[in-house]
Amino acid sequence: MSTVTEAAPTSAADVIVPLWRQRLRIFFHNKLAIASVVYLVLVAAFCYLLPIFHPTNQTNQAATFNVAWNAPPSAAHWLGTDSSGFDELGRIAYGGEYSLALGFLAGIITIVVGTAYGMISGFIGGVTDSVMMRLLDAFLSIPYLFLLIALISIFKRSTVLLILIIGLTGWWGNARIIRGDAMTIRELEYSQAARSMGAGKLRIIRRHVYPNSISNIVTVATFSVADAILFLSALGFLGLGIVAPQTDWGTMLQQGTTQLQNGYWWEIFPVAGVFILVVVAINYIGDALRDVFEVRLIER
Amino acid sequence: MLHYIVRRILQAIVVMLIVMIFTFSLPYFQQGGILAPAYAILGAQATPARVAAWAAQHGMNHPYLVRLWQYVSQIVFHGNLGTSYKQNMSVWSVISVFVPRTVWLALSSLVLTVIIAIPMGMYQAVKRNSTFDYAATGVAFILYAMPSFLLCLLVLDAFGFHWPHLPASPPSGVAPWAMFTDPVGFILPVLSLTLLSVAGLSRFMRGTVLDVLVQDYVRTARAKGCSNRRILFRHAFRNALGPIVTILGLSIPALFGGALIIEDVFNYQGLGIETVNAANNYDVPVILGITVLITLTTLLGNLLADLALGVINPRLRLEAAK
Repeated sequence: MSTVTEAAPTSAADVIVPLWRQRLRIFFHNKLAIASVVYLVLVAAFCYLLPIFHPTNQTNQAATFNVAWNAPPSAAHWLGTDSSGFDELGRIAYGGEYSLALGFLAGIITIVVGTAYGMISGFIGGVTDSVMMRLLDAFLSIPYLFLLIALISIFKRSTVLLILIIGLTGWWGNARIIRGDAMTIRELEYSQAARSMGAGKLRIIRRHVYPNSISNIVTVATFSVADAILFLSALGFLGLGIVAPQTDWGTMLQQGTTQLQNGYWWEIFPVAGVFILVVVAINYIGDALRDVFEVRLIER
Repeated sequence: MLHYIVRRILQAIVVMLIVMIFTFSLPYFQQGGILAPAYAILGAQATPARVAAWAAQHGMNHPYLVRLWQYVSQIVFHGNLGTSYKQNMSVWSVISVFVPRTVWLALSSLVLTVIIAIPMGMYQAVKRNSTFDYAATGVAFILYAMPSFLLCLLVLDAFGFHWPHLPASPPSGVAPWAMFTDPVGFILPVLSLTLLSVAGLSRFMRGTVLDVLVQDYVRTARAKGCSNRRILFRHAFRNALGPIVTILGLSIPALFGGALIIEDVFNYQGLGIETVNAANNYDVPVILGITVLITLTTLLGNLLADLALGVINPRLRLEAAK
């Protein structure tokens, strides 16, 4: 490490701060974004590590018969037990594992498919573009939640299927944003220069369009993950989410709702709080990323 | 203008056709093919003969393209959305009782949203960075990030149980006239759906008006001595209306999505709750029928928005006439 810094200040090129470090600096200036990242890391650590350090029964219904159901918080169960006798604290972690993992994976799928579709459509243009965009119009005018429910009732419900359904239907909006980018970049001088030098379409997409729209892709990806988590929870809330004995935050909220009028607050407000803040945090990070990639904010 | 309208209508027809082909083809991709629901309806032990009879009853013994043509032509020429697997009657007779109730829920909250969000967004833009602006922005952000069902739960918890002066759920029957005989029961669902959409629309209105207020023509109007009120209503409002109408047209699918959640939370007998019930019963034709119906409504809404844009924006009208 030290040898590199000693040898450095001879050429002018070394004085220039790399772009990624400038961007990192802008990101770290945003206190809210840092707090969001810290919060997400903490929640993820809580969800995936709690079962190791504090194992609780979350799947064996038979073992809950010697536990008080709907019990308020106590020393044995810090956040009480739910309507099936499962420990609520452990359940938040258990449900969180699925909510976070599924949301993340589905979000990744939406951005990969959306980017590919948008780039191809925007870059090729012409008839291909209009056909692809009419198809997108059709998809976008289907009410999304109804479509999700239709898909879930047609196909057999499983964890993998939920990821695929949300992932393969959530990219329509993303594709439209990325297409706009691709169309703009296609007309810029450097793309035209590359084209005049004989670069193929794929090369221009890979070397010019894609790197220059990465800012939008990363930002859109962040919001996609938040959306995927939200839609997964909405499905869970409608009773069409993950199949028992597995659970996710939406399903937990649905079960907690039935206990709301009994005043069993511990079955709904802790998980609701963790959940809302996760969505808010991801949205803040997305906002911050948008600032990071805003060229005007970068010092030159 | 006529050319523009015709083109938009043709586009909408193409989009509708794509949606119908898409929804029709979906069941072909499920595990076990299109006969899979037979076992959900008749039981896992159903004999092949019964399954074959069931398939024939629902016209499944024809090839894909023939069935597709039957499906599309039934919808287009007869308004027939198919037959329910579970209830042995047409999809339309299953869902028709729910249609007025969902339309009522969606329409009344849409009107309320417009009445509340547009003045609120304009006021925020004029008094930007005031206490009210910050407060409204903060509330809107929370409402925006919060999953819709959680907001409904909080409303239900507050008004249904802690401060029980309003009925927690609307009249449970499906009679469409309940909205006139017992309007109080509809307050909480309509209020929740309105809150959900006000957050987004007022944010959008604020941004649009802010954009308009820095335009050259506003400065010109101010320079020639226009009063603030006149600038706001003659220049800013008129120019902000275009984007708002577009976004209203585009928000229709989200409106019905929100209505679905609200119907589930408040046990409001409507299309949304029927969709969830049908999903639990594997009654695919009902779900697809409702989806097609709402898609059609969305397209009509978008078309109306486009037409309204032509009326609002003379530039568009002239451009289209060229």
